[in-house]
Amino acid sequence: MALQDFAAEMDRCSQCSYCKWIPFDQMKSWRFSQNCPSVSYYHFNSHSARGRYVVARSLLRGESGYTDMVRDIVFTCLACGACDVSCKVCRYNLEPLEMVRALKCHLVEDGQGLDTHRAVVHSMTQERNRTQAAASARGVWADDLDVPRLPDEKATVLFHAGCRFSYDGALQPSARAAVRLLQSAGVDVGILGERETCCGGRVYSMGYQEPFAAAAAANAAAWAAAGVETIVTSCADCYHAFKRLYPQLGVQVRVLHTVELLAELIRDGRLVLRTEVPMTVTYHDPCHLGRQGETYVPWDGVEKKILNQVVVYEPKKPRYNGAWGVYDAPREVLRAIPGLELVEMERIREYSWCCGAGGGACEAYPEFASWTAGERLAEAASTGAEALVSACPGCERSFLDAAGTAGSGRQGFQGLRVYDIVDLVQQAVGQEESS
Amino acid sequence: METMEARLIEIVGQDRVVADPVGEESFSLSAHLIPPFAPALRVTPQNVDQVQQIVVWANETRTPLVPVSSGGPHLRGGTLPTAPCAVIVDLSAMKRILKIDHRNRLALVEPGVTFNQLQPALRQEGLRLIAPLLPRAGKSVVAALLEREPVTSPRYQWNLTEPLRSLEIVWGNGERFYSGGGTLRGEREEDWQRGLVPLVGPGPGQLDFYKLLSAAQGTMGIVTWASVKCEVYPDVHLLRLVAADRLEDLIDLTYRLLRFRFGDELFIVNSTCLSWLLGRDAQQDASLAEALPPWTVVVGITGGPILGAEKAAAREADIADIAHEFGLALVPDVPGYRGDELLARLLDPPAEPYWRLRPRGGAQELFFLTTLDRTPGHVATVQAAADEQGYPPSDIGVYLQPAHQGTGCHCEFVLPFRRDSQAEIEQTAALFRDAGQRLHAGHAYFSRPYGIWAGMVYGADDRTRVVTRQIKEIFDPNGVMNPGKLCF
Amino acid sequence: MTLPPNVYQAFEAIVGARHISDDPAVLDAYRYSLAHTAIHLGPYFDTFTPRGAAVLLPGSTEEVQAIVRLCNEHKIRFKASSTFWSAQGYPSEDNTIQLDMRRMDRIVEIDDKNMFAVIEPGVIGATLQAEAMKVGLNAHIPGSGCSCSTLATATSYFGSGPGNLYGGWQYDNLLGMEWVLPTGDLFHVGSLGSGCGWFCGEGPGPSMKAVARGFLGAKGAMGVFTRCAVKLFAWPGPQTLPVEGTVPAYRVSLPDRFRAYTLAFPSWKAWADAAHLIWDTSIGYLAHRQFNMFGRDLKYAMVKILTDPHKSLEDLEPLLDDPEVQRVTQLSTRDFQIVLAGMTARDIAWQDRALDEILARTGGWKVEAMNDPDVADWSLLYLIRLGHKNLNLVFGGSYDGCFGLLGAPDWGTSHAEEAGQFKKEWEKQGAVVEAGGDCQMGPIGGQGGGGTCLWENFTCFDPHDQESVDGTREMFDAATQYGVARGWGVGMEKWNAQCRGADGRTTPKEERDRMHLSAPQPSVFRYQHQVRQALNPNDLGDAYYETLDDHSRS
Repeated sequence: MALQDFAAEMDRCSQCSYCKWIPFDQMKSWRFSQNCPSVSYYHFNSHSARGRYVVARSLLRGESGYTDMVRDIVFTCLACGACDVSCKVCRYNLEPLEMVRALKCHLVEDGQGLDTHRAVVHSMTQERNRTQAAASARGVWADDLDVPRLPDEKATVLFHAGCRFSYDGALQPSARAAVRLLQSAGVDVGILGERETCCGGRVYSMGYQEPFAAAAAANAAAWAAAGVETIVTSCADCYHAFKRLYPQLGVQVRVLHTVELLAELIRDGRLVLRTEVPMTVTYHDPCHLGRQGETYVPWDGVEKKILNQVVVYEPKKPRYNGAWGVYDAPREVLRAIPGLELVEMERIREYSWCCGAGGGACEAYPEFASWTAGERLAEAASTGAEALVSACPGCERSFLDAAGTAGSGRQGFQGLRVYDIVDLVQQAVGQEESS
Repeated sequence: METMEARLIEIVGQDRVVADPVGEESFSLSAHLIPPFAPALRVTPQNVDQVQQIVVWANETRTPLVPVSSGGPHLRGGTLPTAPCAVIVDLSAMKRILKIDHRNRLALVEPGVTFNQLQPALRQEGLRLIAPLLPRAGKSVVAALLEREPVTSPRYQWNLTEPLRSLEIVWGNGERFYSGGGTLRGEREEDWQRGLVPLVGPGPGQLDFYKLLSAAQGTMGIVTWASVKCEVYPDVHLLRLVAADRLEDLIDLTYRLLRFRFGDELFIVNSTCLSWLLGRDAQQDASLAEALPPWTVVVGITGGPILGAEKAAAREADIADIAHEFGLALVPDVPGYRGDELLARLLDPPAEPYWRLRPRGGAQELFFLTTLDRTPGHVATVQAAADEQGYPPSDIGVYLQPAHQGTGCHCEFVLPFRRDSQAEIEQTAALFRDAGQRLHAGHAYFSRPYGIWAGMVYGADDRTRVVTRQIKEIFDPNGVMNPGKLCF
Repeated sequence: MTLPPNVYQAFEAIVGARHISDDPAVLDAYRYSLAHTAIHLGPYFDTFTPRGAAVLLPGSTEEVQAIVRLCNEHKIRFKASSTFWSAQGYPSEDNTIQLDMRRMDRIVEIDDKNMFAVIEPGVIGATLQAEAMKVGLNAHIPGSGCSCSTLATATSYFGSGPGNLYGGWQYDNLLGMEWVLPTGDLFHVGSLGSGCGWFCGEGPGPSMKAVARGFLGAKGAMGVFTRCAVKLFAWPGPQTLPVEGTVPAYRVSLPDRFRAYTLAFPSWKAWADAAHLIWDTSIGYLAHRQFNMFGRDLKYAMVKILTDPHKSLEDLEPLLDDPEVQRVTQLSTRDFQIVLAGMTARDIAWQDRALDEILARTGGWKVEAMNDPDVADWSLLYLIRLGHKNLNLVFGGSYDGCFGLLGAPDWGTSHAEEAGQFKKEWEKQGAVVEAGGDCQMGPIGGQGGGGTCLWENFTCFDPHDQESVDGTREMFDAATQYGVARGWGVGMEKWNAQCRGADGRTTPKEERDRMHLSAPQPSVFRYQHQVRQALNPNDLGDAYYETLDDHSRS
């Protein structure tokens, strides 16, 4: 949708500021009550969803023009969607996340994108990854793996590593572990290796629709050529792109996050967790797996009014409010690990606090992104957990970077270690990461 | 002088103006600490029109007015003129109970109405007014509430001025005004019939007019009627006691009762104070004081109008459990007296002599607001000061009255003295000064700064002094209302 | 940039470059649409409050003082707001400095023994309540909901809500205050001024707290309150709310000491009788006519939607055709919600029996459909936290209240049906949601835990639809005329009309004077004028502090 299509919402947003807080019912403390990293860090109303509605209207009406501040207002949005969940606790006819995405696209179309973001887009279009590394190095992470390379070899399930796992050496053991676990459970899994292409989700969240569509088309073609039935990924960004965004472009494929498949394998007894992992952990819900991980439902309808002024949709419009995201599967996996204790943070599931990596913030606003991650580390540490576990390499990288910034080294913050959930499952099944 | 008198006679009538009125007999140290001026006249208006004319006249002639609602004995000095040629405005003749509304639990009373007058009238209507501890016979309901006298049942005190609500006011500038819900509806019967009753105290608007008159000692204006919120007269009313040797041992229990709002009446007294509340004469007081436990929490338990007995039984059992939790016991009597006796006194305060004066005929109150947890420290401060001044600490009555549902606590020390003994007067005055200074330095909040406390309080809080004066100038621009009091 | 550069730089030197902006887009995020929520003066389509000269985010009392002093030096108006509920927190005139107080958001202290909290402006009801619950206490959350600044509700506006019944309204709960006067001087009100802590707001002597707020506060027009203490009250529940359920149908199960009932009555007289008996008996923890805000005809259908995460507004019409929904709706015609909370097992048992006896005496009943465990647990959470306040806006995006009858139960109930019928006729014209006319909601209990109720007749409309906005305003204009003619006074639909006009700016003086002179007691506003002159000599607030300056009067 174009920004103009949100004009009614700009008027109907009541400026209530619910978008700044986790759902009030879920508040357990003063310290961890906010949900929007952007307004929590920058403070001005303009840096929240309510403010962005107003800024969008102001721009459309020509009442304000493009300035550095306006670009900051728009691009410091992490597109984490926390505002969207909180707004929809009471509203059924606003889509703040979609509006902010449209606002980003609007700026990009007007040539107001950020140089740092353009560099990412350039890398993606030229090298099929967003990290500005060489495309040819994309499959190196799996050199030690005995896994089919598609499409030359065949498999029914494709493990999509994503840019972060493909190029972040520190995190790659988690990707390898995922593949090994699937293999050990008898899953017919393969990879695309250096032929893999970025999902495009990150550039989409920066406001670049065309490069995203191109990435989707490339991936769809590769999957078709490989003849796979299912895409599995350990990256929440990729998961979201494939599951929620690609269908909007007509790309339909079965998508699972690794944790969903692991949960299924554990339930079915195909993966047996025998080795004790004596550790207290807390789990971070990645935005794109959790609240934005809901299944896309096609809808082509119109707004109408009933009872004079009740705004509804014809036919009934699917509601994305975080109710049906992927929350239980990772917890099911963690609880299946012998000896492991899961303690929850205050902000979890649909009202989880973002890691800071979303929306291109870590590329354009590293200090803000690091602060956002640091807030999550502090929340994790407050639980008394020994480790912060997640299911997205983007989140894990953010936490590791922020922990480093906090002076505690890559091993964590206040003694807190950072894991991918797969790492712990690997330990529980007794696998060792091969050198 | 004659002109003054003539004009006032013109307003109120011949019999209601007294020239050179006899000065108040001194029952406390007030006159000793700040010698008053002799008043020129005493005028006794009968209605608001007369009050208004008096105040207008006072503004024209720049005559100081000292409003007095209660009958004596006065103890705080607020009614002693601190400016020459003052006219006492005696409101005791305005003693009509204008309205009692059972359904809305509201009474409308003039300033001369006393507790002894109002409570029986309310009882006939199935109501009662939450009152100060054994108010003296002539105590004006309006004056007590305006002066923020503590009340014995803190659970009903939703703010510190409860149960006071709307007022009819004649400001110091002579203008008549209705505060709170009195704006639209006051004493007019047709409004009551329509359900337009002066239930609301604050406002109207963005100023809280009635609180400008609270603890003002008549310096802002004169109240000619007030609506007061009443409680249902209970079907069941018990008084229970929890005793301890040390005050500290009763604090947590009292906090718990306050938090749960268990207990109707709820206050703490030392044995000396309790003996005055219970005794009949000084001799009996002394023997009682020896028999009584050093400290007692007094807990009222009420029930009604729905399943009153059941409620009272549940409350009593719960309070007993709580007391037990703190290693204490809830009992109906302690050595020396039964709770029922005290309840009878609370419900029907005895005639004179006033309990604070009964031990020696004279008494100086030393009181302030604090929090309950600080009261043991304040008690120790006063006892130390008494020791140093040679004043027997055991002679001091201590009354601790939680206020505002437990956020604060009225802390009162009653220092008896013989009025015919200059030595006792001097000794008590020395203790009063010394202890007051120490307490003020120790976070005691003298929220009602009578007499010499005014200089102490406003001297240490200049911003409050400045703002209070600014506001006073609006409502009493010529400074005719009880000049010399507070920071005016 | 509308501020001279040197002035901007001076402000920047106070708060730091990160915390000041005059970017037009940022400033527009501090403008409020007059087609919107609870502005009590319009609504007016496509009309906004004026753009400020700059937005500042002070971080301390000292910074606030420095800002205000600078404003006095340069004669610049300022308007402070904490959580920006409604238009009254926004500038009324050009070249006004907007202070956004959100950085000052600390809970300075919770004194659990003496049951109060000391808070800064940015603390909202939900966070204070969450922290208070950890020590067995609760915080009053006013009808505007838990997203609002507790300090603002206590010092600067109204502060009434479901918690009035047991927790007391914020007027009752306000204790000591730290107040940056309009001159920039710092005023510690009450016990704080004597260095004795925060526990008391009254005195010494005459209460100067009375200057800070009366029935209403100064709505940001008389300086800045930087800290205050508010009284808390007992919370006999767990340290954190064990919330369950799928968003948005969150619910909480607190079975031992809590009950959440919807009570209904055969007549308004019985409704009023029950209110009086509840107060006289001192039972109950929260009481509100809450879900009737959706409308007499829609409320139970909305409850069905809100308690089912699969449902949406598109399910409303089919639900309205459901005979069971119709039956429950009919049963709930004259209703209110009540939460009982027992401090002990005996206490809750007694309260439960007492409530049953009250229902027996008044002929009332518990609406059984609302006792369904999931619905009751949802209702319980709703009322305890008031975290769904913005369901006010669920239909078309905006609402405002009309009439707002405030008074004793007998007075309100004798007019409630008439007020509902008035609105029902207007609903037929299409501008507002057709909800059954009686959309009146409000607390059961006012000052001192009882005594008064409020009948605010919610009116929902679409702020994006000019016909809806204009039609709503016509209805509100008619409501005002009707209310005045019936002797109810000017309704809440126009409560702020004397402050801000149809252009979003200060109402012209002649119009303000006309309104204030027609008030039952115009001297209220004359005194407020004098107070303003005394404390705000450079007149740096706006007309939300209502004054009457009519020197010509005899």
